[in-house]
Amino acid sequence: MKYVILAVALASGLALAGAGLAACSAERDSGARSEPRPATRIADPSEASDLIGQDLLIALAQAKNFHHKAKVYMTDGNLTAATASVRQILSLVFPPGAAEADDVRNDARALLAKLLMSQNQLDEAARAIDEGIAQSRRESFFVANLYTVRGEIHQARAAALDATGEPGKPAAADERHAAIAAFDHSIQINERLQKKLLEER
Amino acid sequence: MATQDDDTLTGPVPDPDAEPAPAELAHARRFAELVDKTLSGRTPPAMSADDRALLEVATVIRAAHGQLALAPGRQHAVVEDALRQAIGASPASASVAPIARARARRWAPWIVAGASTLVAAAAIALLWLRRPVQVHAPVARSVPEEWRSRPADPLIGPIAPERAGDAGTRIDAIFADRLDGFRARHLARGGKP
Repeated sequence: MKYVILAVALASGLALAGAGLAACSAERDSGARSEPRPATRIADPSEASDLIGQDLLIALAQAKNFHHKAKVYMTDGNLTAATASVRQILSLVFPPGAAEADDVRNDARALLAKLLMSQNQLDEAARAIDEGIAQSRRESFFVANLYTVRGEIHQARAAALDATGEPGKPAAADERHAAIAAFDHSIQINERLQKKLLEER
Repeated sequence: MATQDDDTLTGPVPDPDAEPAPAELAHARRFAELVDKTLSGRTPPAMSADDRALLEVATVIRAAHGQLALAPGRQHAVVEDALRQAIGASPASASVAPIARARARRWAPWIVAGASTLVAAAAIALLWLRRPVQVHAPVARSVPEEWRSRPADPLIGPIAPERAGDAGTRIDAIFADRLDGFRARHLARGGKP
């Protein structure tokens, strides 16, 4: 009887140990498979999450339409409605992680600030620019454009201060310095990005 | 052809007070001789199945009754071997195993069985505890760049100050470019979304 028990225990032990080793081996193999194999594997495009999809196109199309609508209002001289139309671009929902989202929103903020400036709402325009710069996750030509518009706002403030007469001169000088700093920042970003793009080519 | 002897075990049980038949007496005598021969070590090589069964029962009864003694020669050999083991010498008789070895022999199957069970348990635990590795799909680097969502900087380039508010033109360019990429991908997949 005890030899039967011994045989059964040995057989089951060996079988399970073999199964365990096989599982470990399979896992090691699967670990090796997790390494990227760029040369041999043809990727299924559906695996990549950053592919252009309908969600992105819909968001871009909506932004485009709001811009066109704003342009029509601007042609009509209805700056308030144009501003409202551009503001709607900021609330569009883009796919998570879409790089175009930052660019489109920053460009809309630049236009929004220009519209507000033309309505003499300099503080509101500056707020739109500051929010855009603060929310940007990377440097881009659109961020550089925000700094350009910020410089224009400072220029407009300097002009407004100059118009107040002698008491506004020192503040106007400060605004002009701020404008120069903003333009310089914009130029530096543009230079860095152009250099980077040339290196990538 | 069956005889009365063949019916000893399977035939009807006689009344205890009945006089034994001559055949029964003859069978009893013959069986007594058989038992005597067996006890003296002269077991006949051939016997009937009933006799063999009865003989086994008789042997068991005798063994159970006790007072079985080893032959004097055998007794002497066992004592000699035990004394030799006590002084560290190897036993002369191979049939008498040392106590330690005998114990080891008795426990060896259980030790091996226990070890095998432990290995089996370890293997089960290994299979149970091992979590499947998250196999991440490799980033599809072979996908054309124009199929992917990406910054619009290379497309738009530096924005001149006099074009700072010309966002409408730029969004047109971005949308057209991304629509081209989407169409190219769509067509490459045979029209599947």
